[in-house]
Amino acid sequence: MKILKIIYLYFLNSLQIHLASPVVFVMFFLSKIFRFGLFIVFLYFLGSSLVSVGDYSVSQLLLFYLIFNLVDTAAQMLFREVYRFRPLIISGGFDLVLTKPFPTLLRVLVGGPDFIDLGILLVLLAVIAYTLAVHVRPDPVSLLIFILLLINSLILAAAFHIFVLGFGILTLSVDHLVMIYRDFTALMRIPVDFFPGTLRALLTFVVPVGIMFTFPAKALLALLDWPLIFIALSLGLLALFLSLRFWNFALKHYQSASS
Amino acid sequence: MRKYRLIFSLAFQNEFIYRLNFVLWRFRNVLRVLLAFFLWSVVFTGRDTAFGYTRPQMLGYVLFVLVIQTLVMSAPSNDNVGGEIANGDLSNYLLKPVSYLKFWFTRDLASKLLNILFSVGEIVLLWLLLRPEIYLSFHPVSLLLGLLLWISGVLIYFFLTKIAVFAAFWTPENTWGFMFVILVFMEVLSGAIFPLDVLPGWVQSALQFTPFPYLIYYPIGIFVDRFSHAHALRLLAQSLIWLGISIWLSLRVWRAGLKNYSATGR
Repeated sequence: MKILKIIYLYFLNSLQIHLASPVVFVMFFLSKIFRFGLFIVFLYFLGSSLVSVGDYSVSQLLLFYLIFNLVDTAAQMLFREVYRFRPLIISGGFDLVLTKPFPTLLRVLVGGPDFIDLGILLVLLAVIAYTLAVHVRPDPVSLLIFILLLINSLILAAAFHIFVLGFGILTLSVDHLVMIYRDFTALMRIPVDFFPGTLRALLTFVVPVGIMFTFPAKALLALLDWPLIFIALSLGLLALFLSLRFWNFALKHYQSASS
Repeated sequence: MRKYRLIFSLAFQNEFIYRLNFVLWRFRNVLRVLLAFFLWSVVFTGRDTAFGYTRPQMLGYVLFVLVIQTLVMSAPSNDNVGGEIANGDLSNYLLKPVSYLKFWFTRDLASKLLNILFSVGEIVLLWLLLRPEIYLSFHPVSLLLGLLLWISGVLIYFFLTKIAVFAAFWTPENTWGFMFVILVFMEVLSGAIFPLDVLPGWVQSALQFTPFPYLIYYPIGIFVDRFSHAHALRLLAQSLIWLGISIWLSLRVWRAGLKNYSATGR
C-alpha cells in the first residue's frame, strides 16, 4: 500500500513538471497525434485502393496499427524514467536512490511517467473502443485473451526496460539500446506475418516484438491458436524472470564510480 | 574558405569519437527501411502495379529513401544550436571570425559525408541480402535534375530546422517542442515513410505548396522516373523558390534573435 502511495506521488510530481511547460506539452501532444493520424490515413488509402494487403483487409490492418500504438504508448508512458537513467548513473545520483527505503527498481522504472503519452493513450482507447464495438465485435473469449495478451505485452516491455537498466549500470550506455528497442517495435506497425520466414521467427520468439504487438490484435480477430497463446504467456513470464535476475546481477556489480 | 575546410576536417574526425553510437545509429536506419520494404513486398504479391508504381520502382523508392534521407536529414546542428543559444555558448562563436550558420552547415556536411558513405554500403548489403529488383533512371537529365533537387532539399532542410531552433532566442525552454513539431511534419510529409502518391490527388496538390515533399519525395520520384522531365524542371523551380523563402526567413529570424539575445547565464 505504501509503495502504491509513493508511486502515486511520483506520478503527481511528474504531472506537475509537465504542466510547468504547457506550451511544450501541447506541441508534443499535437505532433504525436498528427503522426499517428497520418499513418492511419496512409493505411486507409493503401487498403481502400487495394482491397486487401496480404491476408488482411483494411479494417484489420487498421486494428493492428491501433493495437501497436496502444501497447507502444502505454509502455512509453509507464517506463519513461528509463530514458533518464544514464544521467542518474554518471552523476552518482543513483547512490541516493539506493539509500532510500523504496524499491530501487520501481523508482528507476516507473518513477517518471510521461503524461503527454497518457493523453494520447486516452484518445487511443476511445478509438479502439469504437472500432471494437462497431467493426470488430469480438466474442467474450477473444476479448479475454486479448486482455491477457495485452498485460503480457506490458510485462515483456517491462522486462526489456529492466534489461536496459541493467546494461546501463554495467556499461553506462542506455540511449541507443532503448532506441534500438523502439525501432524494433516500430517494425510492428504492420503485422509480423508480413516479414519473411526467418525474420518473422526472429521478431516473434527472439526479440519478441511480434508477441507484444501483433498477437493481441490477432486474438481479437480470433486468428491465434492456443499453443501460440501459451507460448506467448510463457515467454512473457520467462523474460520478466530473466530480466529481474539480470537486474540483481547488475546491481551487485554497481561500483558507484561517479559518486 | 580555408577555415571552413578545417572545420569540416575536424568535424569529420570528431564523428569517429563515438564509433559504437554511430554504428548503432546506422543500424537503426536500416531497421526503418525494413518496415517499408516488407510492407510493399506484401502489397506487390500477386500485383504488377500499385498506385502507378511497378514493383521495382516502389522497392527502388524504399531503398533510395535510406540514402536521400541520410544526406538531407543528418544534421548535428539540430541537437546543438538550441542549447548553445539557450545557455549562452553562442557568445563564444559571435566573438570568432566565423559565420555561425556557415560553421554549423559545415559541421552538418561532415556528418552527412560519413553517413552517406555508410548508407551506400548498407544499400549494397541490403541488396545482397534481399536481392530485390529495383529501378533507377539512368537518363542523364533525370539524374541531373534529381541531384539538383536533392541538393536543394539539403539546404531547405538546414534553413527550415534553423528557423525552428532559433525559437531558443525567445523561449529557450520550448526549443525542443518547436523542433519536435517541425521534425514530425518533415518525417511524415516528406515521403520518408511512404510515397505521397498513396494520398488522394488533392492532398498531393496541396502538399506541393509546402516545403516538405521537396526534401525526399520529389528527388526520389525523379530518380525512379515518376515525373516527366518538364514536370521535374517545374519541381526544381518550385524547390528553388522554397529554398529562397527558407533562407530569407531564417536570416530574418536569426537577426531578430540576435537583437533579443542576452547571453543569459554568462
